[in-house]
Amino acid sequence: MKSLLTFRSLFLSQAKGFTLALLLSLVAVAAGVALLGTSGWFITSAALTTAGLAFNLFVPSALVRAFSFVRILARYGERLSGHDATLRLLANLRGWLFARLFPRLPLADRSLRHGDLVSRLTADVDALDTAFLVAIGPIAAALIIGGALTGVLAWLLPSAALVFGICYGTAVLLVPTGLVLASRSTGRDMVHRAAGARAAVLDGIEGHADLTVYGVLGTAQAGFVDTASRLAAAKGRLASFTAVAGFAVQALAALALVGSLWLGLQAFEAGSIDGAVLAGLLLAIMGSFEATNVIVRSVSKLTTAMAAAERLTAIAETPLVVADPAAPAALPDDTTITLSDVTFSYGGPPVLANLDLTVSPGEHVAITGASGGGKSSLLNLLLRLADPQLGSIALGSAALPRLLQADIHASMALLSQDSPLFNDTIRANLLIGRSDADDEALWAALADAGIEEFVRALPNGLDTLLGESGRTVSVGQARRLCLGRVLLSRARILLLDEPTTGLDRTAEVAFFETLHKAAEGRSVIVVTHAAIPEGTMDRVLEMRGGWLN
Amino acid sequence: MTDTDRRNGKTLSGLSRHGGGWLIIAIAAPLLGGALLVWQAWTLAAVIGQAIEGGAPIAALGPSVGLILIILLVRAALGAIGDRAGTSAAEVIKTGLRNALFAQLLARSPREAEQAQSGAASSAIIDQVEALDAFFSRYLPAMVGATILPIAFAAIILPLDWLTGLLFLITAPLIPLFMALAGWGAQVATNKQARALSLLNGRFADRLRGLVTLKLFGRAEAETAGIVAASDELRKRTLRVLRIAFLSSAVLEFFAALGVAGVALYIGLSLIEYLNLRSSPMTLELGLFLLLMAPEIYNPLRLLAAHYHDRASAKAAIGEIEAQLGALPKEGPTLADAPVIRNKGALGLAIGNLTLRTPDNARVILAGSSLNVAPGEHIAILGPSGIGKSTLLEAIAGLRLYEGDIALDKLALAEWPEAEVRGRVTMLGQKPRIFAGSMASNIALARPGASLAEIRRAAELAHVAGFADALPDGLDTPLGEGGLGLSGGQAQRIALARIYLRDAGLILLDEPTAHLDAELEQEVLDELKHYARSRTLIITTHSLAVAARMDKAWRIAGETLLPMPLPGRRHGHVA
Repeated sequence: MKSLLTFRSLFLSQAKGFTLALLLSLVAVAAGVALLGTSGWFITSAALTTAGLAFNLFVPSALVRAFSFVRILARYGERLSGHDATLRLLANLRGWLFARLFPRLPLADRSLRHGDLVSRLTADVDALDTAFLVAIGPIAAALIIGGALTGVLAWLLPSAALVFGICYGTAVLLVPTGLVLASRSTGRDMVHRAAGARAAVLDGIEGHADLTVYGVLGTAQAGFVDTASRLAAAKGRLASFTAVAGFAVQALAALALVGSLWLGLQAFEAGSIDGAVLAGLLLAIMGSFEATNVIVRSVSKLTTAMAAAERLTAIAETPLVVADPAAPAALPDDTTITLSDVTFSYGGPPVLANLDLTVSPGEHVAITGASGGGKSSLLNLLLRLADPQLGSIALGSAALPRLLQADIHASMALLSQDSPLFNDTIRANLLIGRSDADDEALWAALADAGIEEFVRALPNGLDTLLGESGRTVSVGQARRLCLGRVLLSRARILLLDEPTTGLDRTAEVAFFETLHKAAEGRSVIVVTHAAIPEGTMDRVLEMRGGWLN
Repeated sequence: MTDTDRRNGKTLSGLSRHGGGWLIIAIAAPLLGGALLVWQAWTLAAVIGQAIEGGAPIAALGPSVGLILIILLVRAALGAIGDRAGTSAAEVIKTGLRNALFAQLLARSPREAEQAQSGAASSAIIDQVEALDAFFSRYLPAMVGATILPIAFAAIILPLDWLTGLLFLITAPLIPLFMALAGWGAQVATNKQARALSLLNGRFADRLRGLVTLKLFGRAEAETAGIVAASDELRKRTLRVLRIAFLSSAVLEFFAALGVAGVALYIGLSLIEYLNLRSSPMTLELGLFLLLMAPEIYNPLRLLAAHYHDRASAKAAIGEIEAQLGALPKEGPTLADAPVIRNKGALGLAIGNLTLRTPDNARVILAGSSLNVAPGEHIAILGPSGIGKSTLLEAIAGLRLYEGDIALDKLALAEWPEAEVRGRVTMLGQKPRIFAGSMASNIALARPGASLAEIRRAAELAHVAGFADALPDGLDTPLGEGGLGLSGGQAQRIALARIYLRDAGLILLDEPTAHLDAELEQEVLDELKHYARSRTLIITTHSLAVAARMDKAWRIAGETLLPMPLPGRRHGHVA
């Protein structure tokens, strides 16, 4: 519940729409109760009347018609305005979540699976709609109607007011509360299992070739069947809770009706109530429970909404690994990079130990060394994706923690080992590097990355769709397209992590030679295990045991 | 109604057969509840009528009041049972469908050009299948109820009061007609909405993969705006659907209200004897019964209207699932693991006149090429990146379509039973998948049920043990999906360790040392060469140092395979 409250400011931004929906639903339920009450009273008095044609037929029958049309219009308006407000809320929620997510990247929680993250941003966000639209609104409306009818009973049929009030209050407040408490953990299970099932599908697709080659499709299938049936079991359990709660509400309605009927008949026999009024009240009581029927079904979704909210706030409230300074320094013109005495670890033994390094503006430095030796971590520190435990890193005269991360990122471009291509055109993928680049600049970047010829030979050129994870091109070509994106950017410092993976030796040598020219004037730090061709780098350093030689 | 629409409807009713007994209970419970309702209304009207109009003493009415309570409670129980059974029916159908879709997805070749995009496919199996839920759990019972109950109620009322009965008989069937008119455009709008949902989910899956990259290029704001815009598009489409759905139920409510108000007026006029259309005078008891039944006649129809767009959504979901994953399988294939076959000896490979194309058929990679590898031979395949080395290995592993001949031990690849190929041929791809799970379980992927000692041995051979043992949890260290938390070289070695669990006679390795430095590369090769003594080994590589240790080397150039001299070992990596 607390997690749900995190979203109240977003909820309040749609307050107008929700208030309108609430008011209209109130009107609709009230009109429904009045409709039945009036008809019951009207028919009974007609039966009892001795006035014959003098009986005033037209006021009550006009009332009956008016109430029914008011109810129809109010119901239509309520549903439309409520859904509109909810859907707006969900769109805002997604934006809010993305805006919270970006500063927290890369997420520290490595066990968070891709499919799980997708579930959070789609299904979990959708699960929240029920919290606002279907649970809170109807409960509020039912409470008001129930209160009003209890008041009317206290006036006209005091003996039944208590029975009705208790039954109604239990149905609207206690049963839903009990349902939420009882089904909390089931709701949570359900959301987790749904995310698990999605992750299992994604694993199956993305690991399809491996699963096929190792002949373990049977295991993969069995795993999914297990996940899917556990999801179904959780839904079944939730449905059982809902069914019991639904029965409880109906039973309470029965008690309220029969109780009021019995007490009403006694009052009628005692002559303290008019027969027509009694008939009207009994029908109104039947109508009033219409408002409670939807509550159970919506409240059953509330637990999943709460679990979803917890999963969303878990992301949105992940502590920031690095925070922007309150009073940021201006980005210095000087692009000298200075690392002094830097020590860094992921919690275990240090990956980098007492490291010193200075890279002058325009200098091209290569760092070689064994796999897993901390070369990529060094690049992450430069981009301030993490902070070192000891020592400092400065850009020009400013220590990195004094600069805005956006400024740091604008001055450095990274080609990471797992640089992704997006399911979009080659052009759109390149423009991520610099959104205002013209075609000439795009072709120049592709030429520098050594893939211009390939793209020119494609029938659609820059507008070729790459498919998911760039699967229509080879690994080496994908790598070069990513490199083109980096070269296109306006960054004055280029950080390249194993840029020649997937290239043959000839292409590798050509790459270093091209880089030498293409990045002239820009600082370059290349992390590689390739042998560096003579004269293409200003300095070659070797990293060993967290040290640079 | 279009043809597709009709077909989707047929598919849905086909699926409903899997609902079995649960679905029957879900449909029967509301019908039984309806029958009890008549009894309840009759008793209630009698109690009120006799007390108020007939002046009966309330002591005499006690049993009737008790009966009303019992009927109400039984109806409440029936309602709960019906709902619960509806959920079970829907879950049985959905789970079966999900399993079948997933199995069908796995049974296809992983390299087919039309293989689904992962975000959209998972959205189809999870979200779109979920969209079928309300069709089985709510719509179907509501539809049967709406077909039977109003007519049955009207038939009961007809002998009691012919005019009211006639009114109900005429208006009830008219209502679905008006609803259909109002819901004319609903299916189109619903289909569009399902498409927008697929696109949005696909976009999420794709963008989330590269969020860090987007952040570093300063795209955070632009991407956030893009997501909001896509969500807003979805909102507009959804509202368009809802507006139609709500309108059609408002139309229904309108006619239902006309009916109820008309009946109330008629009863009132009869009671004050202004209207005398009946042979016997109208009593309060009968009047109240008719009044109580009037809304109930229309209630099954209102319920149907409330769930009417569940049917449209379900049809749209079927269309979307088929668009993403192909026709719905009647029953998913049952997949079995290929048993690990103890090395029966090295496999020979003979390739003749082989032509390979890119999956989209746009480009020819190899044309009329040949290659012979003797059993136990170790060969390297070289060539610039993008020339088709990976495609060739995948074709040999039976993952790609090809023209020409590929034969293993002189038997054409197509003639080999699938399980036999998987047992005797193994491959390490260029981008092996690391799953979320421990290092050990990632290695054991290649042989579920491998012993700890076997996993340990494989980890040592692939030089995984070295870096794993430096971690506090060793091989039990949990790995992030896609190898998050590992360097490129480490992830590759974990995938390499899988090969050692397969005991295959033909080993295909796609750039197995691409992320390794020269020293480690040689160490990894030492183990590999030793392990592959009596096996056939084909390695694609850019490293001349790797090629130098093989028996023969080939290169791909100009769409053909050419033998090349082995590079001298001294040249090493620098060549």
